[in-house]
Amino acid sequence: MSAALLPEVVRTHGVRRREPGRVLAALVLGALALFAVLGPLLLADPTSQDLGRYLEAPSPSEPLGTDEYGRSVLARLAHATRLSLVLGVLCVVTALVLGTASGILAASRGGWVDAVLRAVSEAFVAIPALLVVLLFSALAADGSLLTLYLGLALVQWVEYFRVVRAKAALILGGPAVEAASLLQLGRVHVLRRHLWPALRPLLLTLASLGMVTSILAMSTLGFVKVGLQPPRAELGLMVTEAFPFYDVAPWLALAPVTVLFLLTAGFLGLRHREVSP
Amino acid sequence: MTTLELHDVVVAHGDRRLVDVPHLALEPGRPVTIVGESGSGKSLLAHALMGTLASSLVVDGKLALDETLLHLGDRSNRRALWGRRIAMLPQEPALALDPTMRVLSQVAEGALGASRTTARSHAGAALADVGLAASARSFPHTLSGGMAQRVAYAAATIGGARALIVDEPSKGLDSGSVDRLAGLLRDHVGDGGLLLTITHDLRLAAALGGEVAVMREATVVESGDAVDVLGSPQHDYTRRLVDADPSRWRQPWQRTGWYSPGEAIVRAIGISKAYGATSVFADVDLHIRPGERVALSGPSGVGKTTLGNALIGLTPVDAGRVVREPSLAGGRVQKLYQDPTLSFPALVPIEVGLRDVSRRHRASASRVDELMAAVRLSPSLLARRPGEVSGGELQRIAIVRALLAEPRLVFADEATSRLDLLTQAGTIDCLMTELGEAALLMVTHDRALATAVADTHVELE
Amino acid sequence: MGIVTGAGFSGVAGVLLRRAGQAVGVAVLVASLCFLVVRQLPGDAAFRIAAGRYGYDLVDQQAADAVRAELGLDRPAWRQLADWLLALGQGDLGTSLVTSASVAQEVGYYLLGTLQLGAVALVLAVALGGALGTLAARRPNGLLDRAVDGWVASVRALPPFLLGLLLILVFSVHLGWLPAVGHGDGVSVVLPASTLAIGLSGLFARVTRDTVVEIQRSEHVRFARTKGLGARLVLVRHVLRNAGVVLVPYVGVQAVTLIEGVVVVESLFGWQGLGHALVHAVFWRDVPVLQAAALVLALLVVGINTIVDLVGLWLDPRPRGRAVVS
Repeated sequence: MSAALLPEVVRTHGVRRREPGRVLAALVLGALALFAVLGPLLLADPTSQDLGRYLEAPSPSEPLGTDEYGRSVLARLAHATRLSLVLGVLCVVTALVLGTASGILAASRGGWVDAVLRAVSEAFVAIPALLVVLLFSALAADGSLLTLYLGLALVQWVEYFRVVRAKAALILGGPAVEAASLLQLGRVHVLRRHLWPALRPLLLTLASLGMVTSILAMSTLGFVKVGLQPPRAELGLMVTEAFPFYDVAPWLALAPVTVLFLLTAGFLGLRHREVSP
Repeated sequence: MTTLELHDVVVAHGDRRLVDVPHLALEPGRPVTIVGESGSGKSLLAHALMGTLASSLVVDGKLALDETLLHLGDRSNRRALWGRRIAMLPQEPALALDPTMRVLSQVAEGALGASRTTARSHAGAALADVGLAASARSFPHTLSGGMAQRVAYAAATIGGARALIVDEPSKGLDSGSVDRLAGLLRDHVGDGGLLLTITHDLRLAAALGGEVAVMREATVVESGDAVDVLGSPQHDYTRRLVDADPSRWRQPWQRTGWYSPGEAIVRAIGISKAYGATSVFADVDLHIRPGERVALSGPSGVGKTTLGNALIGLTPVDAGRVVREPSLAGGRVQKLYQDPTLSFPALVPIEVGLRDVSRRHRASASRVDELMAAVRLSPSLLARRPGEVSGGELQRIAIVRALLAEPRLVFADEATSRLDLLTQAGTIDCLMTELGEAALLMVTHDRALATAVADTHVELE
Repeated sequence: MGIVTGAGFSGVAGVLLRRAGQAVGVAVLVASLCFLVVRQLPGDAAFRIAAGRYGYDLVDQQAADAVRAELGLDRPAWRQLADWLLALGQGDLGTSLVTSASVAQEVGYYLLGTLQLGAVALVLAVALGGALGTLAARRPNGLLDRAVDGWVASVRALPPFLLGLLLILVFSVHLGWLPAVGHGDGVSVVLPASTLAIGLSGLFARVTRDTVVEIQRSEHVRFARTKGLGARLVLVRHVLRNAGVVLVPYVGVQAVTLIEGVVVVESLFGWQGLGHALVHAVFWRDVPVLQAAALVLALLVVGINTIVDLVGLWLDPRPRGRAVVS
């Protein structure tokens, strides 16, 4: 490689740069989280209809206007954002804990535990996440969030399991862990010094992507009106309801689209640049 | 006849000079070899000549190839010469071959300007010349290091270039392959070609003959006939370099005729191991006695590491058994790895790992400092991560780590193969001095090293 | 600490065996999930299905009961699952609970539509992503590279339905160039296929760019150049083939994203395909169609991955050391 042409002295050693993109993403997400937490507490009731205020344009009293039932778009947006974030976090945390634990277990135990888990994950990996979630929502009574949570967590568990298992198997099979076992350093040491430092950036990336998957899956379901139904305030649902009124009230669609975009771009921007996927 | 001369070559990074060589000449029939440690600038000199330096380095100087005078600062002016007038043999031949292309095609494409059939027949002849006619249809991953080196040679020279630059050809090759390579290079020179070789391997330099120049920190400190420079070196640095060859070692820890009355601590009886259908070793008997130094040497791929791993219990054997004394349990067997960077947890500072080891083996607080002083390293290095320390230094830290466990047997698996001669001499010296009563099992492809260190030398093939 | 090694079968047989096993696993999983859906059908869902069949006016409790009996909800659970899986294994896909037509027939029709859309989208995505990635790689960190990077990032943040809506707004509503709805003819496939292709091409462009940059810096490309070969020749003969080896598996990864996108895009554009049928089946709780559509879609993913594996074997002669994580 061309690095061989530079003498040892010239190579820079592990310089870690502050990445401005990640800081910006964190700020945007923080603002949205604040909106999601405070909004439902401070703003008007999102379900209260006032047909006299049909499709009002944005005004000082209603910064995002009202929809076709006279409901406050801002209030609905706050509830929708909270739904996306809370459900997303729940799914990601569940999947992350389960996936990491099973991945490390499979990599260290091997044998039939590993074989079974890998076989199950192989089957899941071919089924698109959306499909599983759709199937699960067919299971649910309309509007049930529990099955949605279960479906999303299940799909993501598989992803974390595969990535963690691959990385853990690589590390556990390598010379560093072999040397540690010769030095009689024990499982805790391997976990603390070898596995965890390598897995941590990976998990952060996976969690960010997981949030994006969850939010997009939810909004897609809302968009096709499956599993998430009116009058629930959900970002995708709001988009699909707003579309017929696009020419008279563009802000109706613009608001949820913008929040959706900010959420996904924000979580995507949180990842380390060097870590793939 | 072709001649090549370099004038006033200066390679700089910022205000630091990495190469400063006023004159170098290549004549037909007389190989020129530049020797030195890593960091001396010898590789940079070769790449400056070829025009393949990274763009962040500033180059100055002139190249006179026959009648043409070229300025070294302009990298593009040599591209037209590549393959036709100047050829370069790359450092790691296994990586230099396209893994998706068959050997014959890769050699044939070096025949510039010829039609497809002519090129392929020339390539066939070239491969036959280096003894690899049978590998014409193979893919590179099936070739050993030495074979890949010969393919690269055929591919580089088929274009008819008279001037050949060879950059560190012995990296990763065992002595048999290096000898064969030396023969090939001498043939090239014998036909009236020009040869410039960069190497840290003094034995290769001696085998090639011709002129030898010793580089150190950007300048040539001594040059002259190979026999003179290597046989009776004038400059102090050259003398140290020459003495670093294991066959010239005179260390206090070296011994002959050693004998131990004790029971063997490791006994291998009729052990065999195979990977799939390929047998690695079969029906081997081996003993290691307390304090004994055993060396396993042989060409790469012969199974030395596998045998070593089987002896210390890291790899199971298919047949036979290995009996280890109970006192070896509990961390009394330690291993040094070929690439020490891979044997440390990559993402934590070194001292964190060492502290875990000290605690586990109940070493006293000052033991680490003692050992670091014994291997002549500053304790401040321990605050860094493994990737931020040079290979030689990290291997000595690995020795410290192994000694903290107070081993009775140390397995050195090609522990110095990646180090240059001076660093290797220093590292082995540290290891042997601190080893004390412990036994040593050393795997190496360097027979001179094995002979210098071991009481019992087992040669595998 | 144990060391895990993947049990290896090699070559074509290995690929086919592995993928066949995956297909079976997928089928069992999807079928079992659908079975659960059947078990969970609340009373009014059976009612709704009957209503969908006969019309709301004509339906009554008797009809709803008939539907429930049709699905055999009165037998013990494990027997039902066994029967369910057995029926599937024999290839009996049943009849639609809504239209009473043969599911196999309906799904066959929809499959054609999805294949059309998917094939066009995949080809477009690979071409677009590959071209952009290669161009960006010619000058790393240059203007084009950074522009492509930014474009990739924004495309990844857009869910397919938003992208589709945007394209409809621009090309159908405002410019009137392309139809938003329609099926079967060449023109009406443009918008839905483009929606899918743009979304997919993002990852592909990024991966292509990274791969080509890395290969250009590799030892064997450098050696090829110093042998005297021109830059263009090296690119075509060495860089692209090695890039192909790395990139072909990514087409397999994209297969999942493609199918997910297909479901959404078909619904948005009213394209008569499996995704469209699936969403409707979920809404109406038409379980046989639901199962068949989900099954075929998932098996499409397995199929694409099988082809990808085989092409990968052909391109890269090196033996596989570890099982590839896809």
